[in-house]
Amino acid sequence: MSDVQQQDSGSEKGGRHKKLRAKKSSTHIDMTPMVDLAFLLLTFFMLTTTFSKPKTMDITMPVKDKVEDKDRTKVPASQTLSILLTEKNRIIWYIGRDDPSETPQTNIADFSMDGVRSIHKVLLDKNMLVINGVQAVRDSVAKGLIKNDKDEIKRHIAAKKAALTKGLIVLIKPDDKSKYKNLVDILDEMLVCNVARYAIVDVSPNELDLIKNTQ
Amino acid sequence: MPKIKIPKKSPVLDMTPMVDLAFLLVTFFMLTTKFRPDEPVIVDTPSSVSEITLPDKNVIMITVDQAGRTFFNVEGQQIRATILQKMAERYKVQFTPDEVKRFTVLSSFGMPMENMKQYLNAKEEERKSMNKQTKGIPIDSLNNQLSDWINFGRHAGPNYSIAVRGDGDADIPAIKRVISILQDNKANRFALITNLEGAVPVGKKK
Repeated sequence: MSDVQQQDSGSEKGGRHKKLRAKKSSTHIDMTPMVDLAFLLLTFFMLTTTFSKPKTMDITMPVKDKVEDKDRTKVPASQTLSILLTEKNRIIWYIGRDDPSETPQTNIADFSMDGVRSIHKVLLDKNMLVINGVQAVRDSVAKGLIKNDKDEIKRHIAAKKAALTKGLIVLIKPDDKSKYKNLVDILDEMLVCNVARYAIVDVSPNELDLIKNTQ
Repeated sequence: MPKIKIPKKSPVLDMTPMVDLAFLLVTFFMLTTKFRPDEPVIVDTPSSVSEITLPDKNVIMITVDQAGRTFFNVEGQQIRATILQKMAERYKVQFTPDEVKRFTVLSSFGMPMENMKQYLNAKEEERKSMNKQTKGIPIDSLNNQLSDWINFGRHAGPNYSIAVRGDGDADIPAIKRVISILQDNKANRFALITNLEGAVPVGKKK
């Protein structure tokens, strides 16, 4: 039914239009300007887009309230590594207590990865215990004992770090002449070397003398 | 021999797929682009291996430039208006609705409250020279405006995280001062903004 109708109407229309249609114009339009514009915009947006989001380093500082002396956590001096940051990207480090009565053995270091005085090497050496612990976690991930999931691994590593109470404790003490870059570099070093416990501390007058004397 | 007729090809080629693709890309870039706001100072952040990305929103940003001047920024028009109103009350400065509106669309600023009104009414170029001359937001213990900005910022909305964007060459005392102000405001967790370093974990920079 419908076929017939269509044919009918089609022939009717065709007949009527035959006279009117002068010429068949092409359906093609010149797209070049549009393409030009499209690519112009494309280039513009590509160049202005910033994909890289800034990276951040999370820091937790202690609460600034007054802490009673008896409430302070006591840590063995042999476990404590103090890193003094000073001018010209220099590092002075020593192990033990900051005590005016006994001058600790100080060492000079720098930020190089594998120099003779690389702080990186010092930290790797002193923090062997925790580094091995973290490595053990990673090994068990490889063996399939721990699920290979980012959060899961993170949790295990954090637990491991907390369990190793004998691990290195680092006190970072930037003096007034050091630069912010030094601080970030050393915090970065903490991340790389898996230092579980570290803090940013002020330099004591005693240590200022140490810096002065270690030239 | 019969002539081989090479069919005449039209030199017009169908550009439709290419145009489709081009527009697809244009749309993609248009939607993903976030224009970098005009920062009053150039800050060269140090690099680190940390791969944590800064959250997209709800960030209070404190910038410390090479000279140790502090700048403050928070995104979101509503919260900016709220904070400015609170600051205006605190420092007894009156702002017209027009000035508040202008403040909401600004980015980082390093003006003490005394000069804020003048800064908001200044033209683009004047602002640039003011940014060069400013000493940053005052952080002395007597006139600690940064502390107020942070305090009002944190209470204006829920879950605002704090980020410190310091220049690598900034001196430690300025950074320490900012950290200490953050601690005073009970903001003990914050992020330091860094660049992602390449394959080398840590080394001497440049």
